[in-house]
Amino acid sequence: MIRDSQLFQPFSDEPISLIGESGEWKGTFDLDLGPDALLGMYHDLVAGRMMDERLSRLQRQGKLSFVAPSAGHEGAQVGVAHALRRGRDWLFPYYRDTTLLLAFGLPYLEMLGQAMATRADTNRGRQMPSHNGSKALNIFTIASPIASHVAPAVGAAISMKIRDSGQVAATSFGEGATSEGDFHAALNFAGAQGAPIVFVCENNRYAISVEYNKQTGAESIAAKAHAYGMPGYTADGMDVLASYYVMREAVERARSGLGPTLVETLVYRYGAHSSADDDSRYRPREEVEAWKRRDPLVRFRTFLERRDLWDDDAEAELRSEIDEAMKAATAEAEAAGPIPVAWMFDDVFAEPLPHLEEQRHDLLD
Amino acid sequence: MVQTIARTLDQEMGLDERVVVMGQDVGKRGGVFLATEKLFDKYGPDRVIDAPLSEAAIIGSALGMAVHGLRPVAEIQFSDYVFPGFDQLVSQVAKLRYRSAGQFTAPLVIRMPSGGGVKGGHHHSQSPETHFVHTAGLKVVYPSTPTDARGLLRTAIRDADPVVFMEPKRLYRAVKEDVPDDPEFALPFGRAVVRREGDDVVLVSYGGSMAETLKAADALAEQGVSAHVIDLRSLMPWDKETVLDAVARVGRVVLVSEAPRTAGFMSEVGATLAEEALDLLLAPPLRVTGFDTPYPYAQDREYLPGPNRILKGVKRVLDY
Repeated sequence: MIRDSQLFQPFSDEPISLIGESGEWKGTFDLDLGPDALLGMYHDLVAGRMMDERLSRLQRQGKLSFVAPSAGHEGAQVGVAHALRRGRDWLFPYYRDTTLLLAFGLPYLEMLGQAMATRADTNRGRQMPSHNGSKALNIFTIASPIASHVAPAVGAAISMKIRDSGQVAATSFGEGATSEGDFHAALNFAGAQGAPIVFVCENNRYAISVEYNKQTGAESIAAKAHAYGMPGYTADGMDVLASYYVMREAVERARSGLGPTLVETLVYRYGAHSSADDDSRYRPREEVEAWKRRDPLVRFRTFLERRDLWDDDAEAELRSEIDEAMKAATAEAEAAGPIPVAWMFDDVFAEPLPHLEEQRHDLLD
Repeated sequence: MVQTIARTLDQEMGLDERVVVMGQDVGKRGGVFLATEKLFDKYGPDRVIDAPLSEAAIIGSALGMAVHGLRPVAEIQFSDYVFPGFDQLVSQVAKLRYRSAGQFTAPLVIRMPSGGGVKGGHHHSQSPETHFVHTAGLKVVYPSTPTDARGLLRTAIRDADPVVFMEPKRLYRAVKEDVPDDPEFALPFGRAVVRREGDDVVLVSYGGSMAETLKAADALAEQGVSAHVIDLRSLMPWDKETVLDAVARVGRVVLVSEAPRTAGFMSEVGATLAEEALDLLLAPPLRVTGFDTPYPYAQDREYLPGPNRILKGVKRVLDY
C-alpha cells in the first residue's frame, strides 16, 4: 500500500518545506499555482487570523463564552482547505480549525452566529463556540471528545469507496488525539479498507499543557502511519505551500484509489489552548516568541512580495475589506437574537417523542 | 429468532442497496450466532463488511457511512463488548442530529446479542440497555419473539434515527413460530404487546426475561391467579399508556428484568407508576431483577429472575 508519491518521500527526516525563511521558493519542482490561487491562499490566511482576533475580542467583551484560537495553525489549515474540492469533498475537523472552516467556505455569519449562539447559528445554539458544522459544505459538525470524529470520517470514506463517488474525506486533529484508542481504531480500519481519506495532524507540540515528548515516544506523528500501511508525511505547517502540496498529493492518492495518507503538519499555537487556559504556566515566552518569528502569514507575504504580487497598499485594502465584512456579519449575528428556550427539545429525534413533548410542556407551562 | 434476523437483513438488503452489514465475523462466518448467514455470498464484501476487531471502529465508521448516505446495520458480537465503542455511541452517534440541528443524521442500527443464561460469565451475559436508554438521541428496542424481531428490525433499519437493537441471545433458538414473510411487515416502536390477559396481577417485562415471566404466568394460572403479561418490546420510547391502563385496572404490578436493579429500566417504570398512578395502586410496584453484582458465572441461574423469584414477588404483591 505504501508507495512513494511523485513529489515527496514519505517518512522524511526533515519536514517538507517549500518557502524559505526569507520567502524564497525552495521546491525541486515548478510552482504550478497562478497569482489568483496564491492570493486566494493569502486572503484565507489573513481572514483566519482576523476571525481569531475578533472571536477573542468578543470573548473578552462577554459576548461569547469560549474560544479555541487557531492562530499559528493557519498555514497548515489553508493548505489543507485549498487541496480539497470545496462542496464536493468532506471535512471532519476539530475545534481548533477556525481558519480551515473559513477557507473551506464557511460564511463569517455562521461562524459568528455559532460562537454567539444566536438565531444566526445554523446549529441552533446546541454547542459551545468553535464547534461549527455545515451540511451544505460537507463539514461534519465538530464534537469535543478528542479523536472521536476520526472513525466517522473513515466510515464516510469507506462509503465513498463503496459508492465510487470520486470524493475524498479529510479529517484534522491535534497530536494529542493520536494517543486516543479511537485514532488507532480509525487509521487501522482505513488502512485495511484502502479508504480515500487524508488524516491531518496539526502538531503544535502541546495538548493543553502536555508536551510532545510526554504524549508519545514516537519520533514523529507521521511515523505512526507506517504501522497502518499508509504513507506518512511531515510538512512544515508554518509554510502554506508545503502544507498545500503535500496535502494535494495525499488527496490525489486517495482520489485515484491508492488509499489513505497521514499528513503531519508542524505548527505552533500562538495563543493559549483556549480562553480558559493560561499557557504561561507551561510554555516559556522565548519559545512562543521564536515561533512567532516564523509566522505563516509573514512568510507567505514575503514570498508574494518577492514575486511582486503584494505590497502595503494591497495589505491595507485586504484587511479593511475583511474587517468590514466581519463587522457586518458580527452585527447581523447579534441582531438575530437569542435562541428560544423551547428549541432545547427539538432535534433529539427526527420526530418528537411523547416524553420530550411532556418535558417541554412542563418547562414552559 | 436468529434465522429471522438473517432473513430480515436479507430482505432489507434486497430492497435497499444503501443497507450494508458490518461487524466482526459477519462475512464468511455469517456471524458467530449466524445472524448474517449467507449474506456475504449474496451481497459481497462491499455490503457485508468484515470489520477489524474494534467496536470503536465499527460504531464510529457506521456513523460516517450513515452520514454519507448508507444505512449501516452494525453488529457488536456481544453487548458486553460495546464499551470500547461507547464513546462513539454516546458522544457521536447519539448527539449528531442534536448538535447539528438536524443537518446531519445517523440512520443506523447497532445490533447486539445481550443478556444472560448461556453460561458465558460476566463478559458474555450482561444487560447494558439502561446505558443506552439514558443517552438522549438513541432509540432502544429489545424484542423477545421472532416475529417481533422481524417487525422491529425492519422498523429500525428504516428509521431516521440511530437504534440500539438488543437481541436476547438465550432465546435465539428457543422459540419456533411462523413469522410473516411479507417484506413490508413492520412493527412500530413504543408499542408494548399484551402476551396474556389477566385480572389479578400485571407482569411487565421485555427481552430475555419474557420467557421466565411467561413461565411464571403459567404457574400462576395453575394456582388460579390470572396474570396480565406485558412485553414492552421497546424501551426508548416505551409504552407508558399500556402499562398505566393495565395497572389502573388491576392495581398490582411486578416488574421483571434481568438487568441489575439499581437505576435499571424497571426503576423508571416503577417511578412512573408512583408519579402517575399512586392512587390506583393496591400494592407498591415491585421489581424482580438481576442483582447489583457483576454477572456471576457459577450462579447464573440464581442471578436471573427465574419463575420462582417472580412468583415470590407476585405473592408479596398479592398479600400486601
